[in-house]
Amino acid sequence: GAAMKCVIVGAHLRVFGRAIHAIARISDEFWFDPLEKGLALRSVNSSRSAYAYVFFSSMFFQHYCWAAVPQPHQKDKQLSPPCKLIIKSVLPVFRCVNVLERNVEKCSIYTNINDHHITFQLLCKHGVVKTYNLTFQECDPLQAVFAKHMCPNVLKFHSRLLADIMVHFPTSQEEVTLSVTPMKVCFKSYTEEDADLSKTMLTEIQLNPDEFDYFQIGVDSEVTFCLKELRVKPVAFSIEDLVLEASFILATLSDIDKKTSQQQPPGFTPQQERYQWASRVGEGGGKIEFHSLFFGAVSCKEKDATSHSFHSLATASDTEEDFGNVQSSPIL
Amino acid sequence: ASLDNARHLSSLLRAVHFQDHATCFATNNGLRVTVEDAKCIQANAFIQAEIFQEFAVQEQTVTFRINLSVLLDCLTIFDTSSLPGTSTALKMCYRGYGYPLMLFLEEGGVVTVCKINTQEPEDLLDFDFCSTKVVNKIILQSEGLRKAFAELDMTSEVMQITMSPDKPYFRLSTFGNAGSAHLDYSKDSDLIEAFHCNQIQTNRYKISLLKPSTKALALSCKVSIRTDAQGFLSLQYMIRNEDGQICFVEYYCCPDENITEEM
Repeated sequence: GAAMKCVIVGAHLRVFGRAIHAIARISDEFWFDPLEKGLALRSVNSSRSAYAYVFFSSMFFQHYCWAAVPQPHQKDKQLSPPCKLIIKSVLPVFRCVNVLERNVEKCSIYTNINDHHITFQLLCKHGVVKTYNLTFQECDPLQAVFAKHMCPNVLKFHSRLLADIMVHFPTSQEEVTLSVTPMKVCFKSYTEEDADLSKTMLTEIQLNPDEFDYFQIGVDSEVTFCLKELRVKPVAFSIEDLVLEASFILATLSDIDKKTSQQQPPGFTPQQERYQWASRVGEGGGKIEFHSLFFGAVSCKEKDATSHSFHSLATASDTEEDFGNVQSSPIL
Repeated sequence: ASLDNARHLSSLLRAVHFQDHATCFATNNGLRVTVEDAKCIQANAFIQAEIFQEFAVQEQTVTFRINLSVLLDCLTIFDTSSLPGTSTALKMCYRGYGYPLMLFLEEGGVVTVCKINTQEPEDLLDFDFCSTKVVNKIILQSEGLRKAFAELDMTSEVMQITMSPDKPYFRLSTFGNAGSAHLDYSKDSDLIEAFHCNQIQTNRYKISLLKPSTKALALSCKVSIRTDAQGFLSLQYMIRNEDGQICFVEYYCCPDENITEEM
């Protein structure tokens, strides 16, 4: 097992609260995973089509300490299994996120795996202390099946750019196709082939490579994904010197799938089927037909002295073990 | 009795409206409206004679039972609650045993007459809560408790109240499906106006019984929390109406019998 104690103060209270609220839009449960280097939160939605991961490095906290607590039945010093918390039980702790730092001076989080409780303690103004002792279940780790470094296409851009793009699509638009070539990136509304185009509004937004902070296209591709999950806007934190990274991974339709079924309307698969397909890829290993869209909330502001250490934190989490091995990580 | 602004009465009655029926007592001192439930909880709203423009009682005391939901519907029939500056004028008459309660409501020249049947008053609980029997007492500014009560974990069956001369001083706890939650108020908190705790007491009350008191809390500016040796709870709410006059609402609650162990 592991024991962790951390303290969040000031503006980071709001960031933490907003991360919880963002994850809450994906699922009712999340995995609370205290690691030596920081705290990881992960969740996956019920149809396994969206996965969220937020990592708060130890620098995010005013105070962070972590200790492995050896358990009698553990042979080697293994990473403790993460605990699964129900979001509904945690949300009340971070109610009124926007005014959190006005009412709360600091938030302490204590875990002790052996105890099956996570304690959130908020020191509020007027000498009021709120303590929440939440029970959790131990469970298998959650990891999405993909490997960042094996993706031929990588786009990194500021969340605001993504939000600006998405705002142009009508709220009724369910799916969006992202097509990339080394010359341009295009987001367009996805419609089934037999849709009545005279009655539909189609939106298409083209972007140049230079609009991205990082642009790497190895393979011309086209992927279609569900817009609803993207609108989660998980990365719209307003704090600028972030010491965290958030990744939201969405299942997509494979372009191979589309090419082979030309007689039928492309991509017209019932919701269930599409997402089941995504998990089959995971178990089989081998050729990756699963294209993932990554977007990270790593801020590139270089204004303060901590920036150099901040960058090293950013790369460290990129090569983190969690994302290393495609074959052995199952999707749960 | 007559009242220029029916809201002076209706808002207080709403604060105790957790059952359909209420018992009204009228004496020369004013009106008291009592609501009870499960033989465990009792709420009283006091509207003293001074609040009324006219208040006269023929006998020593007049008592009747009435449907509070209907009474409230009548008092708010013009629904002027949302408009400041306008108010409904009220005149109430009760001729005695067996007679209905007559209400005359006037707003902007329109008059409504309501006749509400009355019933035999039922026996009420007497919590016998006098100041000599009080063990612990805390007076708090209501704003400090309002959010706490609104956010109570309703999956918990009980609310536990701990009052102590030492830490945690004043603690509200719930034990819900997700786990336990504790809200601690330091005795030095600027929300606490008076802190008189002589011995540590921990009592549990059914949360479903206490939840209606949130309405009284919302209206009030101060609340006093008192417990006696048996763990009976008295909550007294000081409410200032639109004209700045003070009224009181109190809630009495029995401790929950199914206490397992103290936390």
